This record gives sequence, C-alpha cells and structure tokens, in this order.
Amino acid sequence: MPAKVSLKKNPKRNPLGKVFAGNIGALAVGLKYFFDPNRITLLYPHEYIKLNKGYRGFIVLIKEKCISCSSCARICPAAAMRMLSIKVYNEKLKKYMIKKYPVINYNRCIFCGLCVDVCPTEALYHVPYHDIVYENMNDMILSLEDFQKEPENIEFKEGIPVKYYFDESRGLVKTPYMEELEKQGEKEEKNQKVEGEGEKGAG
Amino acid sequence: MEVSTSNSRGIHLPGMEIAKASKNRYEVMIGPAHPGSGHMRIFVEVDGDIMVKVDPDIGFVHRTMEKLAEGRDWIQNIPLFERIAILDACNITLPYVRAVEKLLGIEAPERARYLRTLLCEINRVASHLYGMGIFGVFLGHSTLYMWGFGDREVFIDLAERLTGARLTHTYPVFGGVRRDIPDDFPEDARKATRYMRKRLNEYAKIFLNNPNIRSRLENVGVLTKNQAAELGLVGPNIRASGIKYDVRLNEPYEAYGDVDFEIPVFEEGDSLARAWARVEEIRQSLNIIDQVVTWLERNPRENFMHEKFWKTAPKLYKDVYEGKISYSPKYRIKLMPIFASLKVPPGKSFARVEAGRGEIVYYVESDGKNLPYRVRVVSPSFRNVIAFKYVMPGHRLMDLPAIYGSFDYFPPAFDR
Repeated sequence: MPAKVSLKKNPKRNPLGKVFAGNIGALAVGLKYFFDPNRITLLYPHEYIKLNKGYRGFIVLIKEKCISCSSCARICPAAAMRMLSIKVYNEKLKKYMIKKYPVINYNRCIFCGLCVDVCPTEALYHVPYHDIVYENMNDMILSLEDFQKEPENIEFKEGIPVKYYFDESRGLVKTPYMEELEKQGEKEEKNQKVEGEGEKGAG
Repeated sequence: MEVSTSNSRGIHLPGMEIAKASKNRYEVMIGPAHPGSGHMRIFVEVDGDIMVKVDPDIGFVHRTMEKLAEGRDWIQNIPLFERIAILDACNITLPYVRAVEKLLGIEAPERARYLRTLLCEINRVASHLYGMGIFGVFLGHSTLYMWGFGDREVFIDLAERLTGARLTHTYPVFGGVRRDIPDDFPEDARKATRYMRKRLNEYAKIFLNNPNIRSRLENVGVLTKNQAAELGLVGPNIRASGIKYDVRLNEPYEAYGDVDFEIPVFEEGDSLARAWARVEEIRQSLNIIDQVVTWLERNPRENFMHEKFWKTAPKLYKDVYEGKISYSPKYRIKLMPIFASLKVPPGKSFARVEAGRGEIVYYVESDGKNLPYRVRVVSPSFRNVIAFKYVMPGHRLMDLPAIYGSFDYFPPAFDR
C-alpha cells in the first residue's frame, strides 16, 4: 500500500472564545503536570543507568582469540585503533615471532562498533558502560595490558543502578535496578517456557 | 533600497559590504551564536520594527564533509555522514548506503528494508520533537522545550535498544543492517507509540491551540504554494504550503511502498501550519512504527543481511547471531572482513530519501578504488534556509523567531 495524501487545515479556533477554550485547556494540562510531573531526570553522580547488554560502550580485547588480521584497525573510521607489533614465543615452532595486537586510543574512538563487528574471531567486545574519568589525555591511549581489562567504572562503587522502562502513561519510568532484577528473571523464565512450548507445537 | 553588492575590489563578502546609510534603517545581526540557534547568522535590516531585508549567512559549522569522504573507505563514510545531522542519523546515511548498494548491484533483503524503515521513523519522530522543542523555546514557551526533549528521550531509548547507540547508530550498512530487534522490542515500541499519541493531544492543548501561541503563529511567515515551489524548498515546510511532494510518496524506498500511511498536506503555509504538519507527521510515523513492528514480529528472524552473507558465514558468525557467545549480545551480524577493504565498481549513482527535515540527496561517483571519487550531499536544511530571505521581510522583528523556528532549521545540516 503506497502512501496517501490527506489534505488538512489548521484546526479552527474554538467558537467559545479564547478564554474558555484555549487558555483554560492549556492551564488545565499545565496544572495536571504541576501536581503529577513526568520526571525522568537522572541524578547522575548518585545514580547511573544500567545499560542493556547490546550497548556499545568501551571495548575490551581478548588476546588469546586475536589472530592479528588487522581488520579492526583497517575499518576504524576515526583511526583510533592501531596495531602494535610484539615479540611472542611460538611453542610449536620454538622460536620468537612478531605478532600484531590492536590497541585503542580513546581520544579518537567514536564507539561505532565496526571493529567489534568486523573481528572474525570475536576477540573484541563492548562493555555496557561509557563513563570513565581519565586523569590526563595520555591515559586515554591504552597499552596492550590495559586494553585486555574491563575498564573500572567509578559509578559502580558509589552510585545506585537505575533502569528506564517503557510505560504507556508515562513514557519512560526510572526504576532502581535491583528490585527489577528479580522480576525480570521471572519474566525470562516464563518467556523461555513459552518459547519451548511454541517450538514443541510447531514441531 | 540601495546597497552596493560589492566592495571596491569587487569581492562579495557577506557582512563586509559598504552600504549607503539611510535614515531610520538599522542593521541587526542575529547570531552567529545566539541562544536557541545553532551557529548561523542572519543579517536583518529593520525600518523601525519592520524587517526590510533579511540575509541568512551560513557556513559557521562547515566541516568539509564531501572532501573528507574522498579520503575514507566506503564503510568509514557512514559514521562520517551521520555527523551531518546527528539527531537524524539513519535518515541521513541511508541514501549514501542506497547509492553505494546501487553501484555494488546488491539489494537489501526484505527484513532489512523493514528494519531500516523502523529506525528511520524512530529518527523522524525524535527529530521533529527536537525541532518542536527548539521552536517552543524560541517563542518563550519553555514547557514545550522540556516536554519535547523529554519525550524525544523515549525514542532515543528505543533506538538505543535496537542499535546499541543513542544517536550515532551506524545502523544501515551495504547489503542490510547490523542488528535485528531484541526480543522485548515490539512491546516497548508499542508502549512508546501509545504514549506519544496521547501526548500529542496534550501538546496541542498546551502549545498549538494555546491562544498566546496561536496569535504569534497564525498568518505569520506565509509561504505561498508558488513561492515554495520556486524556491525549491523540501520537507514538511512545502507540505504545509499545499505541495504534495514527499519522496516516500513519489518514489517509495525501503518498505514505504508496503506500509499504510498518509502524507499530511496543509494549505495555509503559515508558521502554524508548519508546526501542525510536523505534529501530524509524528502521528503518521507512529502508525508506521506500529505496522513495521507487527510485520517484524510475524515474520521469521532471518535474512536481514544480503543472502551472500548467510551462505558464506562461518559457524562463529552464526553463533554470535544466536547469542551462544556469553559476552556478546544476541541478533547481531558480524561484518565480513571484506567490508574493511571494499572496492566498489566504477560508476555513478544517485539516491534520495525523505529525512526528517526534507529530501536529502546523495550523488556518489566511484572509479573502482577503495575510496569514493566524489560524494555530493545536498541536505534538506540547505535547501530550506533560503526561505528566510523571502518570507521574513515585511514582518516585525519579533516574528523572526516564530518564522525561524517554524522552518526547523539545523545549521550543521546545511553547512555539512
């Protein structure tokens, strides 16, 4: 079904007049939200959003899986990822060999996630958070050792994790994460059960 | 009015011209940095309180996007072009992806087309809400500003759940999209659309039908049908002037030919009609989101990347897609390493898409190398900005924000 054109006109002014229709309507809506506001503000240092698993946050390398193909450095649109040559002892051939590993510069990274998607052995992955304080800009250029560790998130120590859920009447609702964790677990179990039954039925 | 258009050397520089002084004429400069606006300047010549001559001066956020694109690989240009209008990322990059797909001779599979449509519409709603918020704050209505930006968060959150990033999604890639919808997405999307529909009625009550706002917008900045066509404007601005033009209508792309929706066309052409056109468009976008989500739910989760990918994908790629790897999210496709060194066959191609602010056009030329030879972008805001020059004269200076805001300007988009 292709799109249709619908001709419209600006809604006419209410015949009851400005005062009764327009102003009172606007004031009523304003008053409604004055007493019952839709607050979605995150009190940031005291609370932090527990993001979903798929979020594209900081990137971590699993060195054992890396095959030194350089695809990640090749595809990086911001030239944030570079290959580092390192001498590695090869036990099969019993000699030292030069192997390349990626390192990242967070001064440049734009978190597009192309490096993670292009890695043929899934040696890179995202952690679902993005707020880290570096003391100086040199620290943002990670060494190979740092690149293998999940960066430490300071918010995790002090803040309360919250999560935003979609709601029909309020849009987004901020809820502390721990309470919801149990409910979610139950939901997932239910969903798995339903899916299992569905598969049986289909089979 | 006599203004010399060039200085003694004959070089035309805006703002640097020597103008004859005339009685009771003053030049007011709006910008380049004023609250609410992006980096853009408007020269306004006023006679008393009436604007006589208006000249938009653009170029303060010019980033040489087109030249930068010539030095980057084909896929690296997708995150680059997102920066043209970061709040409308999918719509802005989609024509580039489509143009390159034409050169490569591939076509995105059906599910990918629906997924692209979904993100495009989420972006369109978020973009219109952003525009409305700015419009509100221009008129001194800070409530709408807060509401618009708060409700935009709902759609940004939807996009984040779908793609993994709030604004710079880098979602469509050559041959498909990067992720499928998560399991709980349809439910969330329906909740968001139901919420937004209800909310639009409240927007009308507090803003558009509010007598204070109406008296500032009604019959202000009237753009007639002829004028709009002559100036070559695009997007909701011409649809508010009665021109039935929308790329989704005239040349349906992606899944727009299969979903059922209306193109709202208003006749008045004033600032109020432009605001209403956006509200009605949000309503239609919500309808499209509902339909697309239902389609995605009903149809099997497969083939949202080109079929060649699924035929040649190694086992690990399928494991990642099925979520068998503990640390990586589900329903994600891996890009083939060929994407990093993609060579596009020589040729010229052209694609256009209806972005939130209007039609965006890409012309891509390849000479067979791994870099594009030329990428030309014509963004919607660039085509709309000229309207200021012809619509504003004759109005009072206080009408400038009302007209300026109603055109949903976005300086980074017209400077590129």
